[in-house]
This record gives sequence, structure tokens and C-alpha cells, in this order.
Amino acid sequence: MGVQRTHLRLAVTALLVAILVLLVGCGTVDDPQNTFAPEGDVARKQRDLLLVWVLGPAAVILVLVFGVLGYSLIRFRRKSDNELPKQVHGNNRLEIAWTIAPAILLLIIAVPTIDAVIDLGRGPATDALHVRVTGRQWQWEFEYLDPEYEAAEANLECVAPQLRAPEDGAGQPLCVVGELHIPVDREVGIELESIDVIHSFWVPKLAGKLDNIPGTTNRMFFNATKIGSYSGQCAEFCGLGHADMKMIIVAESEEDFQEWVTDQLEGGGAARSRTGEPDLVSRGE
Amino acid sequence: MVEAMRKLRADAESYQGWWSWLTTVDHKRIGVMYGVTAFSFFLLGGVEALLIRLQLSTSNGQVLDPDAYNRLFTMHGTTMIFLVVMPLSAAFFNLLIPLLIGARDVAFPRLNAFSFWVFLAGGLFMNASFFTGGIFQGKLGAPDAGWFGYAPLSLVSTGQGIDFWAFGLLILGIASMAAGFNFIVTIFNMRAPGMTLLRMPVFVWMTLVTSFLIIFAMPIITVALFELLFDRLYGANFFNMAAGGKPLLWQHMFWLFGHPEVYILILPAMGIVSEVLPTFSRKPLFGYQFVIFSGLAIAFMSWGVWAHHMYTTGLGTIANSAFAVSTMLIAVPTGIKIFSWIATLWGGSINLKTPLYFSVGFISMFVIGGLTGVMHTVVPSDYQQQDTYFVVAHFHQVLFGGAMFGLFAGIYYWFPKFTGRLLHEGWGKLHFWLMFIGFNLTFQPMMILGLLGMPRRIYSYGSGTGWDFLNMLATAGAFLIGLSILVFMINVVVSLRRKERAGADPWDGRTLEWSLPSPVPPYNFAEIPTVRARDDFWHQKYAEDEEGRPVPIVAGGAYQAEEEEGEEEAETGHGIHMPSPSFWPLIAAIGLPIMAAGFIYQESANLLPMIAIGAVITIVGIYGWALEPASE
Repeated sequence: MGVQRTHLRLAVTALLVAILVLLVGCGTVDDPQNTFAPEGDVARKQRDLLLVWVLGPAAVILVLVFGVLGYSLIRFRRKSDNELPKQVHGNNRLEIAWTIAPAILLLIIAVPTIDAVIDLGRGPATDALHVRVTGRQWQWEFEYLDPEYEAAEANLECVAPQLRAPEDGAGQPLCVVGELHIPVDREVGIELESIDVIHSFWVPKLAGKLDNIPGTTNRMFFNATKIGSYSGQCAEFCGLGHADMKMIIVAESEEDFQEWVTDQLEGGGAARSRTGEPDLVSRGE
Repeated sequence: MVEAMRKLRADAESYQGWWSWLTTVDHKRIGVMYGVTAFSFFLLGGVEALLIRLQLSTSNGQVLDPDAYNRLFTMHGTTMIFLVVMPLSAAFFNLLIPLLIGARDVAFPRLNAFSFWVFLAGGLFMNASFFTGGIFQGKLGAPDAGWFGYAPLSLVSTGQGIDFWAFGLLILGIASMAAGFNFIVTIFNMRAPGMTLLRMPVFVWMTLVTSFLIIFAMPIITVALFELLFDRLYGANFFNMAAGGKPLLWQHMFWLFGHPEVYILILPAMGIVSEVLPTFSRKPLFGYQFVIFSGLAIAFMSWGVWAHHMYTTGLGTIANSAFAVSTMLIAVPTGIKIFSWIATLWGGSINLKTPLYFSVGFISMFVIGGLTGVMHTVVPSDYQQQDTYFVVAHFHQVLFGGAMFGLFAGIYYWFPKFTGRLLHEGWGKLHFWLMFIGFNLTFQPMMILGLLGMPRRIYSYGSGTGWDFLNMLATAGAFLIGLSILVFMINVVVSLRRKERAGADPWDGRTLEWSLPSPVPPYNFAEIPTVRARDDFWHQKYAEDEEGRPVPIVAGGAYQAEEEEGEEEAETGHGIHMPSPSFWPLIAAIGLPIMAAGFIYQESANLLPMIAIGAVITIVGIYGWALEPASE
């Protein structure tokens, strides 16, 4: 049975390689969009839910199933062509057991899941910064909706406000493209819209995604618990420029944020004019 | 007597030459054509996958431009689902169902031929889209909105790619519907005496369940595709939000079709594995009823989980919670199947042949696919995983690690039954190991890539993302899979040239097909068998002692005598009535793509008359078919 031994050894090697790959993968916590290295409360909650409630039980089940499968294949290998095993047709108790046990386990997992769904489905905090994020092929536009961020003149790079019928006497909300500044540790309430096809707003280190759907307003919130720049990108396929539809979220201290806002309001967008695409390498922290 | 002999000889003649293939209504030949065609599309879809992997092997890849990339991944997904896994399953339905239930053919042999020709027409029509964008200027014309074709992106897409895609899917839907009804009727009405529902092999059950899913799921996508085409061709506003349409309507309809579709793809492979494992363990399937009823449960529940594809569309707290629970619970019947398969191996006498290798590969990869599926049901963490490479890894784990491994198990298992030759074991195991290692090398790194925040469907990524190494691994794995498929093709060629015959029953099989000569004669059963038990053929070979251990029945026993008697009957040709060949199904199928092309080019190339021409061809085909005189 030398051939089978070789196969077994090969299988073990393959498994080890897979584990190695896993370790290498998890080692790179500095990657700019690593969902396992969250820097916001929402993303942290989402990761912990997966880690605690799902990955653990899943790993145990995986090891058990693979163990029994591997053991059967070795232990019950055919030794002679005349071998005829006992004809077992089934076992109702066993079948009922492995019907009910997973059902109970899954219903247990459902509890924290639904709890988190409800929690993340709430509206933003009362002191939150309100931002409308409009997706268009292929850029992100951010409008600061709170009254104190009203700009004297419109930023012509922003298309979404120009499409809306201007209200009489109302100023324009401050609008920037591609780079959203937020104060650290303050919740940001987000309204998601689109003016062409479906996009999806996603900053992996801060929060999971939610779609920008034309004709609909979707709402979410997140915060950043650490000063830094966080890269995000469109997660719903939106055509030719989908891969390049990136954004940067800059979380900074309240003072720095106010200073940036003042520059924006005075410069009418000029202060913020960017040269070329944001370079994720140099900005990633 | 003389008359009967002459008729048999005439039958043999009708089995020669290419014309006989175009007019065949023999379920085995149709099965072979389904298999060969689907495998050709598999190679095409595989090449598309390799191009995608080449482009993504390093950051800032320069192999494809975004336009070509979008078209290739759209066609890769569409091809693998509609032109590979579904028709490969159909190939097995065709080859096996009549044999497994003791019938001479399917209920509607010409409808069966029609299914195949329509499938071929739809597949070719869909792929013809590549040539519509000016391929000689280096531009591809294929659809570019993904296999899921989300509106409104699929509305604003220019060119004819999406139209070809939508009409192609409509044509393929006709083929699937016809096949679905055909197999339901066949399974209910054509069973041999004694083949009660709960004696049917699990593969027959899974075919039945899949056929029901097909006939209920296909109409939904048909409606969605019609609405999309009305929006595109005639300016209707089903999905156009500027005119009050709803983009999300498309997603609801697409996934209400799309999730049952997942089970349409996997249930046949589950059926195959449920046949292979008992044979190679020399034990009956553990918990036969549980495996069948869990299949039924999966089919029912598959209608109530579609919105888990839409957690991030903002359906709200209630909908997301409800679909989280329903999706979690569908893991229960799936688990029953996995546990029952492993329990079948337990205590068996396991013959480590290639079909068993692929079956075990199926189980192990499907377990990972199932567990990652449960991860997606945890809605808040799915907000992170949705539309990332984690999802890509998950469904390839199910559809490649699951369905394709299961289908290959079936190919290795039943190849001798239809060719008279066993596939070579050495090449077979090389094929398995290359594919297994290649598969894991491709898709396990993708899981990590998804968790590292790599979105799907991006043609390029920057160098600071940390995704380079894992992508390179995935590309290397993909080429290993490509190599394994090459090994498989060599194996087929080498094995077909082998001198030694497989014999009727090379694996010590359990089900009726192994009681027939290999290859199976056109009429299948010389005498329609009478079935006395589940795994009837096994019980013809083995009795059981008091402890439940099988005891071989000595050759020349009661069963053997019966068999010989049956063969005598075959020589006289007594009572064998086979359907006559017909070319009308082919004619009826040809009209469909002509009509579709007419609709697409009615304005731009003034091809309105083509619609009429295509319609006339199809109607003439159907009338010729209906009025064709019965044989004899």
C-alpha cells in the first residue's frame, strides 16, 4: 500500500501549505484595507462577531469533519477484494442528532447576529457629523450637510448638488471629491445616493459596505477611533472605472478638522484641488 | 422472426455516420453530446479564467484593459454556470436516468433532442457576442455587466453584448425548461415495475428535485430578462429610476432565480457522490431517507433565502434578520448530507479508486464552502465580506470544489459504462491531485484576499495594497488546474485506445446500469427488469447473513438464469420498440437564435424580417415534429 501512503503524505503536505498561506495572509495587518485590523467601532464589531461567534465554531467543525473523514479513509481502506463489510443502512438516532445539533448551534449564532443587525440599523448619534455620499461613474462626492458647513460658492467638481434643484436663498453644502475629512472619535452619519448606476460605499477599516442605489437613500454610520488616513473603494461593479473608484477618509483631531473646513470654505474648493490620483502607499498609515 | 432481425439490422445502420448524430433521439447519444459540448465550453470558460488570473497576478497588471477584463469575467461566470455545470449535469441526467430506473429512453425522446439543440444554439449565440464589437480592431463585443447583469448598469451598457447575453439566457432557459419537464415525466412515469419512489437511486431523486427547481426558477429570470430587453430595445422603464423604475426589482428577481440556481448546480453533483460512495465502500448509503428528504428540504428552503445576496442594498433590519435565520437553517439539511456521506464511508471497505478520490475531494471542499456560507449569514460581518474575494472563494468552493469535483467523480465512475473502457487510474489520480492542490492554491488565498479588503470585479489593484503575493499564488494555482484538465484530456484519449474491456460491472456496482453490457446497447434493457429492492443489482449479487454481512450468490443461481433468458429475448428483438430518429427538433432549435438576432439588429441593421424567418423555421420545425408519422 505504498502508493496510498504517498498520497496521504501529499494530502498532509497540501494541508500544511494551506495553513502556511493562511498564516502569511494574517501576518500582514498593516494592509490598508484589512478588515481584520479595524480602526473604527463599527468595523470592530463586525470583525469580533465573525471571530467570536463564527470562526471559532467553524474551525472546530472543520477539524472534526476532516478528522473523521481522514480517519475513515485510512482505517476502512479495502484490504482484500473479497472483503464485504457489514451492511449498515442508517441510524435514526444519529441522523436526528446531527439534524438538531447544528440547528441549535445556528440558532445560537443567530442571536448575536440579529442583535448586531438591530444595533447597526439605528440612526446616527445626536452629535454626529452628517455627510451625503454620492457615487457617480467614477468618483465619490462628499457633501457636509450640517448648516455650519455651508459654502458661499459651489464646487464645480461636484456633480450631485448641481443636479438637485437649488432651493431659494439656500447656500451650497460644502462638497469635496474623493477625500473625506472627519474628526476622530466622532460619529459620522452617512446618506448614500447615486446619480447613475449602483455603487457601494466601503472603507474596510472603518465599516462594512452599504450600496449607493439610484433613486434611494441608504443610511449608515461609523467612526474612526484613531487619527489616520483610511482607504476605501467602490465595492459594487459599476463599469470601466470600477477599480479606480477609490476614496480616502482622513480622520484628524477636531482642531485640524476645523482648520481644514475653514480652508475649504474660504478656498471654494481650490485649496483642496488634488493633483492626480490619491497615492494609497504614501497616504496609508 | 426474419422481419425482426431485419429491423434490428436497420436500427444498427441508423447508428452510423454524422447524420445519425444530428437526428438521434437516443438519450445516451444526447447525453454524450451534452457532455462533449459542455466540456468544450468548460475549456473556453477556463481560458477566460486564466486570462483574468494573468491580469491579476501582479499589481497594476497590463495583460488586459478594463474593457476586455469586464467582458471576460462576465463571460467566464455566465459560461461556467449556464454552459458548463448545468449542461454537464444534464449530460448525466440523460445518460443515466433511464438506465437507473429501468427504462429504454426518456418520456419524450424528441423533446430531449430539442433541449440539446436549443442549448447548443443558445451557447453559440451567447459566445457570438464576442464578434460584435469589432474583434478585428482588437475590441471584444461580449456582455460587460457581470453574469448578474445588475440594472441600471446593464441598461446603460452600449453595444449589443447585453442583448446577446439576455437573448442567449432566454434561449438556454427554453432548453432547461424542456429538459426539466422531460425528466420529471420520465421519473414519474417510466420506472420499471417495482421501482417505487423510495427504491430510486439518490441520483434519480436529486435529478427530480433539480428538475422541479428548474421549472420554477427559469420563469422568474425569463420575466426579468424580458423586462431588461424591453428597457434596452424599446425604451420601457422597468429598471430606469429616472422614469420611476426600480433598480432593486432586478436584483430581487435575479436572486429569486439565482439562489435556487445554486442548488440546481450542486444537487446533481450531490446525487453523483451519493452513488459513488456506497459503491466504493461496499455499503449502502447511510440514512437513505434522510439524504433524500434533506435534498427536498434544501429545494424548498432555497426559495426563501434570495435576499442574502442583497444584505448591503439596505433592505432594513427586519428583512436582513429574517433572511439571516432562513439562510442559517438551510445549512442544516446540507449538514445532514455531509454527515451521512461520511457515515457511509465509516465501517466500509473503501476502494481508493479515482471516482472515490473526486468524491472525497467534493466532500472536503464542500464542507469549507458550507462553513464560509454560514459566515455570510452573519449579516454584519457580511457587510465586510460582500463583493470581496472572500465571496469569490466561497462560491468557487461550492461550485468548483463541490459541483465540478462531483461531476468529475461521475465521469470517472460511469465512463466505462458508455465507452466500454475504464479511464486510466494513474492518469486519473494525477488529474485529481493536480486539480485538488491547484484548487486550494487558487481559492484559499482568495479567502484571505477578501478579508484583506480586495473587492471583486476590479481589473487592477495598486502595489501598496498587500495583495500581490496572494494573487500570485492564486494565479499559479489556476494554471495548475489548467494543467490538471490537460491531464484529464490525455487520460480520455489514452483510455479510449486501451485494448482491455471494462466489462459490464467493473466497480461491483449497486444500481441497474451495471447489469447491462458496456457500452450499453441502444435499447438499454433487453427485458425491462422487475425491481425488488433498493440497490437491486447488488441484491442480485449478494444475499445477507443474520449479522447483516453480504454473502455472494453463487454464479448460476436464480438471478443468472433470469439474465440468460433475457439475452435470448434480445436476440429475437421481441417487444423492443425504439423511437425513430428525427431532424425536426434540430430545425425547431435553429429558428430561435435567428429570431433573437432579428430582434437585436431590427433597427441598427434593418433586420426586422429575420424575426419572421426565424419564427417560420421554428414553427415549421414544430409542425414537422408534431406531424411526423410514428415508426412502424
